[in-house]
Parts: sequence; C-alpha cells; structure tokens
Amino acid sequence: MAHPPHQQINRDLLRPLIQTSWRFYVLVALPAAVVLTGLVSWFSQMYFGFGISGIRWPIFWGFYVTNFVFWIGISHAGTLISAILRLVNAGWRRPVTRCAEVITVFALMIGAMFPIIHLGRPWLAFWLFPYPSERLIWPNFRSPLVWDFFAINTYLTGSVLFLFLPIIPDFAVVRDRATGIRQRIYRVLALGWRGTPKQWHRLETAMQIMAIAIIPVAVSVHTIVSFDFSMAPVPMWQTTIFGPYFVAGAIFSGIAALLIAMAVLRKVLHLEAYLHPLHFQNLGKLLLVMALLWGYFVFNERLVTYYGNGPSEMAVFWRTQRESFAPLYWTMVVCNFVLPLILMGIRRFRTITGCVIASIGVVIGMWLERFLIIVPALGHKYLPNSFATYRPRPVEIIITAATFAAMMLLYALFSKVVPIISIWELKAGEHTPPELIPPATEEHPLGELRL
Amino acid sequence: MDRRSFIKLTAVSGTTAALASCGNPEHQLIRFVPDEDIVPGQAVWKPSVCPLCPSACGLTVRVMGAEADVVRNGKAGVVQILAAKKLEGNPEHPVNHGGLCARGQAAIQVTYHPDRIAQPLKRTGNRGVGSYEAITWDAAIAEVVAKLNEIAASGKAGSLAFFGRSGSSYRNALIGEFLARFGAPAPMSYDLFGDDVLRRANAVSFGVAQLPTFDFAQSRYVLNFGSDFLGTWNAPVSQSRAYGDMRQGRRGVRGHFVHVDSRLSQTGASADEWVPIRPGTEGVLALGIAHVVIRDKVRPAVADRATAAIAGWKDGLPDYAPERVEEMTGVKANRVERLAREFAGGPSVLPQVRTQPGVAVIGGTALAHTNGLFNALAINALNALVGSVGVPGGLAFTPQLDILAAAKMTGRPTPAASLRQWAADALSSASSVQALLVDGVNPVFTAPRAWKLRDALAKVPFIVSFGSFLDETSVMADLILPDHSFLESFTGAVPESGSAMAVVSAAGPVMKPLHQTRATTDVLLDVGRQLEKPIELPWQTFEEMLTASFAALPAMTEGSDAWTDAQEKGGWWGEIPAAVRLKPDTASPVRLKADTTSVVSGLSRTQPEFDGDAAQYPFHFLPYPSNQFLDGSTAHLPWLQEMPDPLTSAMWSSWVEINPATAAKLGIAQGDVVDVTSAHGTVQTAAFLSPGIAPDVLAMPAGQGHTTFTRYASGRGANPVDLLAPVTEESTGAVAWAATRVKIARVGDGDGRLILFAGEFREHQEHGR
Amino acid sequence: MPNWGMAVDLDRCTGCGACVTACHAENNISTVGAEQAARGRAKHWIRVERYWEGDFPDVTLKFRPVMCQHCDNAPCEPVCPTYASHHTPDGLNAQVYNRCIGTRYCANACPYNVRFFDFFNPSWDKPLHLQLNPDVSLREVGVMEKCTFCVQRIKATTIAAKAEDRELKDGDIQTACAQACPSRALVFGDLSDPESEVSRLSRSPRGSKLLEDLGTKPKVAYLSKDA
Ligand code: SF4
Ligand code: SF4
Ligand code: SF4
Ligand code: SF4
Ligand code: SF4
Repeated sequence: MAHPPHQQINRDLLRPLIQTSWRFYVLVALPAAVVLTGLVSWFSQMYFGFGISGIRWPIFWGFYVTNFVFWIGISHAGTLISAILRLVNAGWRRPVTRCAEVITVFALMIGAMFPIIHLGRPWLAFWLFPYPSERLIWPNFRSPLVWDFFAINTYLTGSVLFLFLPIIPDFAVVRDRATGIRQRIYRVLALGWRGTPKQWHRLETAMQIMAIAIIPVAVSVHTIVSFDFSMAPVPMWQTTIFGPYFVAGAIFSGIAALLIAMAVLRKVLHLEAYLHPLHFQNLGKLLLVMALLWGYFVFNERLVTYYGNGPSEMAVFWRTQRESFAPLYWTMVVCNFVLPLILMGIRRFRTITGCVIASIGVVIGMWLERFLIIVPALGHKYLPNSFATYRPRPVEIIITAATFAAMMLLYALFSKVVPIISIWELKAGEHTPPELIPPATEEHPLGELRL
Repeated sequence: MDRRSFIKLTAVSGTTAALASCGNPEHQLIRFVPDEDIVPGQAVWKPSVCPLCPSACGLTVRVMGAEADVVRNGKAGVVQILAAKKLEGNPEHPVNHGGLCARGQAAIQVTYHPDRIAQPLKRTGNRGVGSYEAITWDAAIAEVVAKLNEIAASGKAGSLAFFGRSGSSYRNALIGEFLARFGAPAPMSYDLFGDDVLRRANAVSFGVAQLPTFDFAQSRYVLNFGSDFLGTWNAPVSQSRAYGDMRQGRRGVRGHFVHVDSRLSQTGASADEWVPIRPGTEGVLALGIAHVVIRDKVRPAVADRATAAIAGWKDGLPDYAPERVEEMTGVKANRVERLAREFAGGPSVLPQVRTQPGVAVIGGTALAHTNGLFNALAINALNALVGSVGVPGGLAFTPQLDILAAAKMTGRPTPAASLRQWAADALSSASSVQALLVDGVNPVFTAPRAWKLRDALAKVPFIVSFGSFLDETSVMADLILPDHSFLESFTGAVPESGSAMAVVSAAGPVMKPLHQTRATTDVLLDVGRQLEKPIELPWQTFEEMLTASFAALPAMTEGSDAWTDAQEKGGWWGEIPAAVRLKPDTASPVRLKADTTSVVSGLSRTQPEFDGDAAQYPFHFLPYPSNQFLDGSTAHLPWLQEMPDPLTSAMWSSWVEINPATAAKLGIAQGDVVDVTSAHGTVQTAAFLSPGIAPDVLAMPAGQGHTTFTRYASGRGANPVDLLAPVTEESTGAVAWAATRVKIARVGDGDGRLILFAGEFREHQEHGR
Repeated sequence: MPNWGMAVDLDRCTGCGACVTACHAENNISTVGAEQAARGRAKHWIRVERYWEGDFPDVTLKFRPVMCQHCDNAPCEPVCPTYASHHTPDGLNAQVYNRCIGTRYCANACPYNVRFFDFFNPSWDKPLHLQLNPDVSLREVGVMEKCTFCVQRIKATTIAAKAEDRELKDGDIQTACAQACPSRALVFGDLSDPESEVSRLSRSPRGSKLLEDLGTKPKVAYLSKDA
C-alpha cells in the first residue's frame, strides 16, 4: 500500500493548516450558527423552565438522555478501535487512527453535556462532584449517575491523552514549517520534541501503555451507562444483557461514525492518496461483524422477554413490536441489520459509497435504538392508569440538531490546526525504523502481528 | 449569587425577554404594622360551616399568620393578617363527622379567589358587558334605599323580587322577614338539581316535605334508584360515611348495594350490581318488585303489612307483573323477581346472607322525569312495604328547627311565584317588576334557555347583586354589593338531612374581611333602617339575630348557653324544644300515610314523556351534577378544575359520555369533537367513551360552559343546560331535566379540549401471542 | 421508633376525590392550568385510579387511591445521586427538595409513578397564596415532589406530645387525605404498634400490597372489596 514521498506527504497533510479556502469558512459558519441556536434554546429552557421541553409525567427521560447514550456510544469509535488496531499492529490503521481518536474526544465532550442539559436544576450539577462542602454531604455512591460521572471523566481524560501523545511529533513538524505567532504556539504544543531515539522510544512505550489501559475504560464506560437503565425496575430495562449489548452497540455506531468522517475528510481535504478504499473495506468488514453481533443481542433480548411473558414486559414489548412504536422499531432493524448486512456482506457493495450509506443507516438506527429503549418503557410502566406517550418539543429537537452541528464544527476546527492524519506514523510505515511498527506489505496488507 | 439570579444571568445572554425579569417586586414592598396580635407559626382552629351545598357540613378552620398585600394611604405594602389556611371536617359535627368532600376542601379558594369582587361596583357599560366602576358603600346603599323608597311610594311593593338561596338558614329567614315587612313576595329559590319532587312525595307519603336521612350504617341491602348519594345528592359526606360503615363497619356483615339507573354514575360505580333501566321507569320497577314481594309472600310479615298498611294493595298490584315490568323497564322478569326476594330479605340468590334491614333510595335522575312524583311515591311505598321507614337501617327524617319560630318572626311573606312564572311575567308587556335583588345565585346559568331568564332580567329596571363573583347573573346587575366570604361572616343553617339528631350548623367569622365587603344580612338590616318607612327588625346586626334566636335552644354544656356553645363547636345539636320544632312533626317511626297508594294508583302519569321525537332525536339526554362543580356554582375554583373527575379523570374539561358500541356505529372515537343537539339547542364538546352507559343514552356533566365566571371557568367547556327542554314534572313544576331527547354528530378529531389524567381505563390488557 | 404506614379499604372508597383536593390544600401543591395539564404536568400526590371491568351491561368499575407507598425497599432511593430521596428512621421515603437537582431518575425508578416534577416555578394567583401552609416548603422549578405522608403533621404532633410529655396515641396523627376521606377508606398510623388500627387492617385477609412482587416492600395495604 504505497503512500506518496515524504515531501508530498508534508505538503498534502499540512495544506489544510497553511491555506484557508472559502469552503472552510462555510464549513465553520453553518454549524456554528446551529450550535448557537442550540445554546439559546438551552438557556431559554433554564430561564422559562424545563417545561418547554416535551418531557412529562411519567416519561421523565426523552431526547436528552437518548442523545447522551448515543454520543457516548459514538465516542467508542476512536480510542477503542485505534487502541485495538495499535495493539494488533495493523499497519493499515496509520492514516485512520487520528480521525478516530478525535471523534472520541469530541463525542465524549458532547455526550457529557446531556446529563447537565437534562437536569431540572443544571446550575447544581456540581453536586455530583465529591467536593468537601459545608453541607458535609457527599454524592450517593450507590447511584449509577455518580458512576457515570466518574467513568466519563476518566474516559475523557484518557482519550485526550491518547489523542495528544501521537500528535506531539506532528506538532514538531508543523513548528518547523510554521512562522511567526503560529510557530510559537506549535513550539509550546510540541513540548520540545526533537525526535531523538529516546523520545521516540518513550512515545512508543507511552502509546502501548495507553492503548492497553484505555480499552477496559472504554468498555466500562458504556457498561455503566447501561446500568443507568438496568438498575431501575422498569419493564424491559431490568436485564443482565444491557452491559455487553450497550458496549457492542457503542462500538457499532462508533465505526459507522468513523467511516462517515473518513469519507468526508477524503473528499474535503483531498486525501484520496492516503485513505484508500482498502481502509473502508476493512472497517466495513468490522461494521458487518458488529451488525451481526448487534442483531444477536437484539434477538436475544427480545426472545427472552417473549418467553418470560411477564405482563408488564409484554405490554412494552408489543408497544414497540407492533403498536405505536412499531414503525420506529422496524426502521431501526432495517438500518442496523438489514442495510449493513447487504451493503457490507456483498463485496460488490463494499465500496466507499456503500460504506457511507451503511454507516449513515447505522448512525440513525443506533439513535433510534436508544430512544426505543427509553421512551416506550417509561410510558408503559406497570399501572395502566399512568400510561402515556411522549412528543418532543422544538427545544429538544433544536438541541439535538445542535449536537450534530457541534461535531462538525469541532472537527472542522481541529483539522484546521492539527494534521488529521498522523504524518510521522504514515512515514514510519514507509521505511523500517527502530520502532516496533512493521511495514504493511502487499501480501500482509494488515501488517504482521508483533506484540 | 442565588439560583434565580443565576438563571436570569444566563437568560440575559440567552434571551432578550430576560430584560423584563430583573428586580424582584417583593423587595420594594413596605411592611405595615399588623392590627391583630399574631404569634408567628402558631395555628389556632376555629369552627365554620361549608357554604357550598345545603348539607351544611361542619368545618374546623386552621388559622395562622400570613402576609397579605394591602394599600394603606396610597402605599402598597404587605401586612401580617390572621388568615384561614386549611378547611378540615369538624369531627364533632353530626352531619360530616370530620369528613369533607372535595368541594368542601376547595371552599377556601372562594375566600382567596383572585377574581373576587373586592368593593361595591356600579355598572358603567351595557348590561352583560361587565364594565363597572368602584363606588363607596354609602353611595351604593343610598341608591338601593332610594329605589326601594320609590317602589314603596308607588304602592307596588309587590314588584320587588328576590333571587335567594335554597335551604333553611337564618340568612334566608332574615331575608324573608325583610321582604315580608316591605310587602314583597318571598324570595324565589331555584335549583336545577333540586329535589322538590321528592319533598312533595315525602309530604304525600309521610307527611314530611323533607329529604330523608338514611341509616346505611345499619342497612344490609341498599336499592338505589338513580340517586348520586355518594357524590352530590342530599348529604353526600354523611351518606358516604354511613356507606363505608355499611360495607365494613360491622364485623362479619357486609351490606349489599344495587344501583338502578341508565348510567353507572360515580355512586353506581361502587355498587355490587348495576341494573340498567329505561329512563323514567324506576317507579314501575319498584311496583314490580312490590308485586313479587306480595304475590310470593316473600316474608309473611311483609305480605300482612302490605294489606294492612297499604290500602289498595290487597289485590297485589296486578298491573305490575314481572313480564309487564320487563316490557316497560327493559329489566328482565327473572331479574325483577330476584331483586324482589333479595330486597324483601327472603331466601335469595345471596346465600346465607340476611338482607334485612334494607332500604330503597330515590333521587337525581329518577325524579327528573315528567313522572318523577310517581317514581318517588312508588319507591316510598316500597320502603313502607318492607317496613324500612323509621327503623334502624332504614330511612328517617332529621328533626328540623323552626327558625322563624326561634327568631320570633312575625312577618309571613306572600308566597313567591316560580322562577319560570316570574320570567314570563317580567317579559310580558304588562310587566310590573321594578327591582330585583340577587343573593349570590346564578339562575341565568342553570335555568332552561326557553324560560328566557336573561331577557327577563334585561327588562328589569334595577338589579342589585350581592354576589362575590361576576357570573352570568351578576353581570346583569346595575349594582354589586359584594358579600363577605363565609369565612369572614356569621353563618347559621339547618341541615335538612344527614343526621339522626337535630342540627344547626352555625359559626362566627374565622378571619377579618380581606376586602371592602359587607355581610349582606347586615346590609339589608342597614337598608331597612334607612327607608322612609323604616323596617325595624328587632336586631341591629345579623350576629344579634343569631344570639337572640339561639336563646330558644337549650345549652349543650353545663353553665353555658346555646349560642356560646355553637360558636365553640361550630353548631348546635340535640333535642329541639317542641316550641321551636318544625311542624308537622315526624313522630318516629314514620308511617306511610294511607292515601299514598290511592295517589300512586290515582296518578294519571306513570310513564315518562320525553321532549323531541325519537326518530329525529334517538338518544335520551342525561345531564348530571358534576362531582366537582355541582350545577356550576363551584367551577371557579382551580383545585376543583384540576381535580381529575372520578369516572373519566378529566381535568379542566367537559365532555359527553357515550356507549362505545354506539360510538363505533357513529365512527366517534375517544376525544372526538361532537355536536349534541336537542330541539332547543346545540352544544359542542368532546366525546368520552364509557362502557357504563346505556347505548341509547348520552350523559353530560353540568358545571362547565360559563361565559363569565372568573379567569378559571370562563369560556371553558360546554353547558348541558343549553339543550334542556322546558318540560317539568307536572305536579310540582320542577324541571324534568332528564326528559330531553338529543342527537349526536361527529364534528372532527379531538382538538385537545378533553384533558385526561389517566392513560388507560382497563387494568388487564390482553395481548395475543 | 414508629414505622408509619397506611391502609386503604377499597370496599369503603367511593372514588369521590376528596383526598386529592385535601392533599393539594395541605401540601402547597400548585395547580398547573389546562394547557400544562394537557401536557402531563398535573401534580396529584394522591390519585384515584379507576379501572373498568367487563362491558355494558355487565360492567363494574374499580377505584384505587394511589399515593407514595413509602416502600421499605424503595427503588427511588439508591438511584438518587444527591440523597434528596432517602429513607428516614421512622420508615418514610423522604424527599429533600433543596437537595434535588432534577435528574428525574427516581421517578423512572418508582414503579408506582407517584413522583411529580416541577416543570415550572410553581405560582399562585394572589391572594390564593394566603392559603399556603407555612409548615410545608414551596418547591422550585426543576425538583421532584411527592407524597410525604404529611411529614409536617407527624413532626408537629410528635413534638407537641413530647412537650406535654405524653405518649402518642393511635389516631393522634392524621394525614390530610385520611382526615378528609368521607367514607373513612384511608387509615394512617404506626405499623410498629400491633394494636394500631392500620396494623390491624394491614393484617386483614382482604389485604394485599400494590406491585408487591417487585420486592419494593410497600407500606400501604390495600383491602379488597370481597373477603
Ligand atoms: S357535602 Fe361537601 S359541599 Fe356540601 S356542605 Fe358538605 S363539604 Fe360542603
Ligand atoms: S377520599 Fe376516600 S373515598 Fe374519596 S376517593 Fe379518596 S379514599 Fe376514596
Ligand atoms: S412509591 Fe415510589 S416514590 Fe414512594 S417510596 Fe416507593 S418507589 Fe419511592
Ligand atoms: S430528581 Fe431529585 S430526587 Fe430524583 S433522583 Fe434526581 S436528584 Fe434525586
Ligand atoms: S399522606 Fe399527605 S402527602 Fe400523602 S397523599 Fe395523603 S395528604 Fe398527600
């Protein structure tokens, strides 16, 4: 898998940092506007009262918590994937890892907003933090929400480090080419990187450690998110399968997000030379595997409920299966299972376009999945007297849209200041340096395992 | 920085609306020195009387300090006042024994209502528009005095009319005396859901023109013909308590309850058995039951009594054989026989269950037909037949205090015309009506439209309202002299029923008047004194009247007097001295008067007649007093508006109940907007599908549909009265409010006007697998 | 230490709704108005459920008042991150409004759906505010509220008894709903006293608990119509 010569690499990958075309401004201005609208909506929700949302008795969680679970899921794109690929030493990963890790960090930042946005009194969110206070009250460590708080913070810290470490050499590259104020900024960021073997070695070791450490964290995060539901005695929530089910779903949606991001970057930043169809095919295969895994989990969850035949569970079951929520439910099944199976299963369709279509389907499907776990159950809880249905109101829809815009915005800005493809890793793939990373050869497109 | 200011700060950056929100008006208020001495946080309990329905339940009011907004010499500020905080049932009161219905709980909002009329008002705009200007009490009273002088001078004292409240109370006694001395006819009182038919029937049957008191607590079998005795009818709280004891108050004994009605009302919902019946044929069913009881000699004693007590029944009511009864009522013949055996306490389908004593109850819809009196007399006779009159577990009559005698009143006003007659006269060209005084009642809202009451009022030259709210009747007034709320005034009423012993519910004010209002009773006394030909009543104030009148009653506690006791206990109860007891006396046990049966069999009308032909108007229309709003008089209280209706869980709404099968035929779904039309009008409302109603009946709660009645009730829902035909029960002239036929048509999908609290109405939903 | 509980005699309950209004009056529960009520924001700490059974003409209706069951094993408590929902030594499920940050997790966890959220700052059209009970704190926007077993009455009476140093008798403490109930369907009292009426009723063969199989250990006994 040949990449262009080094000068070419530098030119291509540094171009976005040096030149700024009108397309960039559009790409920033549009999402920025949406994000601003989202902020205004959130502030007016705080000012006028939470009641301007569609949340009602007894469906006390809706779009916001759906978005929370969804974005935390997306965040499993990067760190987890790139960590695994690093550990298995997949050579082809090199152009992919960074855009994956970036997704993680931003998705986490966005996802972590929602527990605050959905609070009745967001200005008191800090009460979740165990600080020594005159009230001598600590958070209730029995509450999954407190577990969330710690899990997400840990994951965010880890992912930021995991993203930052491999950027250091590239900052150095930029530093050496930039001038004026920029040079000074990048000098700071480069942390005095000189590329001495010692530094290289330390970087590699650090990366190895982070790669190993981040995987259990990532797994735990979405397991704990799933506990938010499985710990409450709500029909169809109380199930032991939620932990792995949520993690699998998370990775699933993560890969989909990554594929979409890669396709966009490839087009916008003209990285055809670096992001080959091979990358998409490989990730596409991964997507296929996850689709099958997801299908298994859903089948498992449904079949067990159906056999158990608990009255309250069945009420929710039928509500999604063939009553009011059936259209959404079957859309989800098509998006998450049928579509990827066809597009990724049949080699002919496993093209870049195919991958993108399948991924968009999966992203929509996974959002629906979270929505369908939360709302139908809460609206159909035990005593029929309090059955109800939920309709989102503008504020929730706008804020939801704003988070997608936020993702675009952050991504655009990031790729403006940091090479979105790891320059040094790319070069490292070319000639065999003293490092552990083996070259990818034609016969071993995935590189050889060397752990 | 506190939380609120934090929200505002964020809002400023978020919304421009925030600009208005800065600053907190409370901080600019001055604190005035209170004129009562108040111990902060210390509650005191004072007795009072619930004003919302005639059963006059006793209240215990929690009174504490509170901060009221006031204006003193032009400056707005807050001042500590002693304010009523919570109404609780008076545990000692013989009617409600500490219980209180939802309306009684909400009564406190009458006093604190934001739209209460706070000072005398004089009309500035056209009648009915509701534009008024504030005037002083002196000016207002002067106007009334001038008008009354003018009337008196013209020698047409009879042309002064008065709309009063129903029920026996010192207030009404004083008003009656005032009118009598002035030479005007007695006050007219009109209740859409009043029970004059039953009073008349009881007068015929038992010689007592009074509603009965039921000893459910000791009954073993209750056969209810259409009355809502657990919700709105007669003395609901008293009856509910007794009902509870009937069910679970006796070890090993559980009373049985059968509900006969074309609709499963809130009361019917608690029944063990519901007998749907063709509207207006309740009396026929009763006589059918009597027929079987006599024929089968269900209990020899009963059969004997039949022949003995009830002349004319020796032949055993041949016209009412079960088969004929089935034809007329739609109740299966074998069911009639079974009910008869159960009710008469013979060997019944309720194995090893004694069903004696049992009692039959009639009220509400069963009386609201053109043959209401027949129905009532038939059920009275049935009770007499099984000997449930004046015995434990049966019905009796609460001894009544003769207020007029107690207050030593001399004047006897000329009897009033019926409201309907009065309206007709007022509209006639030769109308003599010169002035009308309205004491907080709202007949414009509740009287059949065909009576044209509003037009009649429009023709009255001078109308004064003592009401506290601008309702459909008050808004026609030229002058509004707002009364105190019940918590701010002396009250005294004689409950007609609900207690075994005689009761007078009475109390003093529990708090100082909140607004520039005056007690209507004192205003009348004042006006009387100021007339050219003064009306010199023996008391300066209403309080004096009560003090004087209570002298006629013995003290309840040693070394005290009745009035002191009453003010402490919230009333007086015990043995009434013969001198002031209402005659004719109800010497218990009450005996059925011999001529009842002749009346029953003599009655020309045994079958109900309905307005509107069955082909064009296929449905019987059944308006009913709302559990929250009665006839609409409490629709202005937000707690009651938001309280879910017992049967439908509806809040802030009105609706029409329709049988699901019928609805399916007409393509009407839950919440759909429908037009209900009678020969006299159309109302638009939402459909509520209820399995508890006969397929050929549509039911609609009264109370909503006010055009003007405070911010909470105005323009909300629809008023079933708009559909009512002006047909009456012939012998009493009472409105036969269940005798109208209607049709229904779907207008469109639900538009959210039907607000339900409950999600589903079935507990067990079957999902096929 | 008392253990407060309640018994609801469904054979006495007539569905009249007096308890609902009484609770509003005692506990400063604001009305939300038609528009918000339509959006599912009405707050009824105690509600009277009604369920139809059968179809015309053989139809019956069941009433069932439902308030917080003050579960001894309350799902709403462990999930609360701030201890706003917690258990008291005398067996109440207490709700500290000022500590609640409005995650609404407790309400999801409550199988009985008896927890209500303040979607807006509660307000009273003056002078309706004069009725407010000074013994019950007003709630702010964004917090959860629910039946407290009228804890303010429990405290007041207990303190009074202590001051006059006398033992609390059964019936000394009445919740607002039980006090109002015309048919005496609601009985409140101390379950730790085997002689109290609520204990006696809770032992009745007619008695059962709501959703007992969920293991919430509810403290409200429901006595069925038929023995
Ligand atoms: S029954 Fe209700 S409304 Fe009537 S007096 Fe008693 S408490 Fe008041
Ligand atoms: S007040 Fe009593 S009778 Fe009325 S609904 Fe409540 S519990 Fe039932
Ligand atoms: S009923 Fe609901 S709110 Fe009350 S204690 Fe049980 S779980 Fe908590
Ligand atoms: S809403 Fe309040 S009480 Fe409920 S869990 Fe969240 S913080 Fe606790
Ligand atoms: S116990 Fe108190 S708080 Fe609970 S429902 Fe009854 S009145 Fe309301």
